[in-house]
Amino acid sequence: MTIRRAAKNCPLCEQGIRQLNYKDEKTLSRMMTEQGKILPRRMTGMCARHQRQLGTAVKRARYLALVPYVRRYVD
Amino acid sequence: MRVVAESTMGGEDVRDYEVVYIFDTQLAEERITEKLERYHELITGGGGEITATDNWGRRQLAYPIRKQTAGHFVIVQFRSAVDGLPEFERLLKLDEELLRFLIVLNEGLPTAPMSIATREPSREDGGDDEEDDE
Repeated sequence: MTIRRAAKNCPLCEQGIRQLNYKDEKTLSRMMTEQGKILPRRMTGMCARHQRQLGTAVKRARYLALVPYVRRYVD
Repeated sequence: MRVVAESTMGGEDVRDYEVVYIFDTQLAEERITEKLERYHELITGGGGEITATDNWGRRQLAYPIRKQTAGHFVIVQFRSAVDGLPEFERLLKLDEELLRFLIVLNEGLPTAPMSIATREPSREDGGDDEEDDE
């Protein structure tokens, strides 16, 4: 192809991260809403593979009480 | 249907696993070590091996588990035959002082809750990080 995209858009790929770690609650919570929902791909901008990993990772982290299932909305 | 399962000679299915334990924080450190030894006997006795252990210690829980707001986290990576796992899991389920546990396949993840944000390349003087292998 002559026309190429500038670069990969996935923020994780760009950082050279292959695997999302479910124990890394800091990173996971950046990809979640205040209430504990997983951010959609259009917000995270991640590739399919990493978004899939995010889903698995968040679910494992929730089970281990590293991140909440729901966090009540306080204003 | 086979009446007796043929023992798999040589072709044993061995995998890398990672287990996360969440213990009651009331437990003394020695009791936890004792418990871990007891669990892991089952793995090592079956020809498996413990490859890494990481004691995170006390950590706040995101929501209460059995009315506890904190837990003592221990991460262990091990290699074991697939057949050994059900028995191992059964043993863990029976333990009342183990608030929760999770066994997953180890895909080469570090045991530490290492944040990507805090992850630094091992050396920054090199310039490019492609040729780190020595």
